[in-house]
Amino acid sequence: MTIAKPGRRLMHQVPLKFVQKKVKGGGHRATNASLTLTPMIDFLIVTVVFLILSFDPSGDKTLAKGVRLPDAENTIDMIDAPMVAITGSLILVDGNAAGNTRAVEDSKRLQRIDELFNMLKQKRELWKQLHPAKDFPGVVVLQIDQDVQAIVVKSVFQTAAFAGYPNVSFMVGEIPKTASAGE
Amino acid sequence: MGGVDVGGGGGGKREMNSEINMIPMIDLLMVLISFLLITAVWTHMGRLNADAQVPGPPREVEPDKVEVEKQLHVEMRSPDKFVLIWKQGGTVISTVDVPRKDNVIEKEGKKMIRFPELAAKIEQEWKTAGSHRDPSDKKFDQAILHTDNETPYVYLIGVIDAIYKAHRPFNVGGKAEQVPAFNVTFAVN
Repeated sequence: MTIAKPGRRLMHQVPLKFVQKKVKGGGHRATNASLTLTPMIDFLIVTVVFLILSFDPSGDKTLAKGVRLPDAENTIDMIDAPMVAITGSLILVDGNAAGNTRAVEDSKRLQRIDELFNMLKQKRELWKQLHPAKDFPGVVVLQIDQDVQAIVVKSVFQTAAFAGYPNVSFMVGEIPKTASAGE
Repeated sequence: MGGVDVGGGGGGKREMNSEINMIPMIDLLMVLISFLLITAVWTHMGRLNADAQVPGPPREVEPDKVEVEKQLHVEMRSPDKFVLIWKQGGTVISTVDVPRKDNVIEKEGKKMIRFPELAAKIEQEWKTAGSHRDPSDKKFDQAILHTDNETPYVYLIGVIDAIYKAHRPFNVGGKAEQVPAFNVTFAVN
């Protein structure tokens, strides 16, 4: 057995120069790089805090299917109240059918919508049973499609008032206010 | 990785430096961000208030005389003009015509209409003829909207938005806040 000179033997069988160089550690820069995690974690935490602050847990403000709301500038904040959605064909109270839009449009006259009236009245009575010591706020929020005719809007408005909801709010998309001439 | 260096560790003792595994924390943050992004609501909703003007519950002693207040009637039946009429009971106090330009902006199927001339004129009318301006006054001036039966809802919102452009100070908890000067309701006919 021949006596071999001491030294590195690992991967000598690989006939590639650069592999041998790397194994020997030929004085080059280390190929392993470490990532600095601190800025990444800072960024993630800031993102999480922002999203948590802007998170809205209430699911009540979801739009009914088939309703395209118009936008307005001079709005006030939404409130928790019974939601009446009016699409091109249906009237819904908190997702339950309460009348037909086409029937009101075809009649061409202001009318009380009986199904809607009964449902709103039931809701009012239920609220009064649940909160006997409080005054009934009488607020209802209307989600109305942009193309629904005024006769339907006025009929629903009047029906809500008859059912004990004189404070009617129209849900709209909020857009930034434009400055008026004096501002 | 994050670590805590407390020095020492020499002299054959156990290493005192420890490394915190950051991967679970980063995973948790990523999951939180994904959840919050998916559930986020990016469209802001607001509301325009209206008052149905129904009589209140019957009182034991009815007031002898109820003073009839001035009301602003906004007529939007004509396609080329709005008519602003101040009325006290059945008496017409003043009438103003405002030219009407229906600039409907349609974006992704969503319509928007603004009436800036009407808003400016209503604001001016309220400043000259409005009755309830003091911040401590709990009552509001009343605007009554007259429209025909076929008008699309988007036009009604455009006009209501223009009426709500006029603002007045109102005491809320000892602090004067800017609130819409008018209460809006619909005319039955």
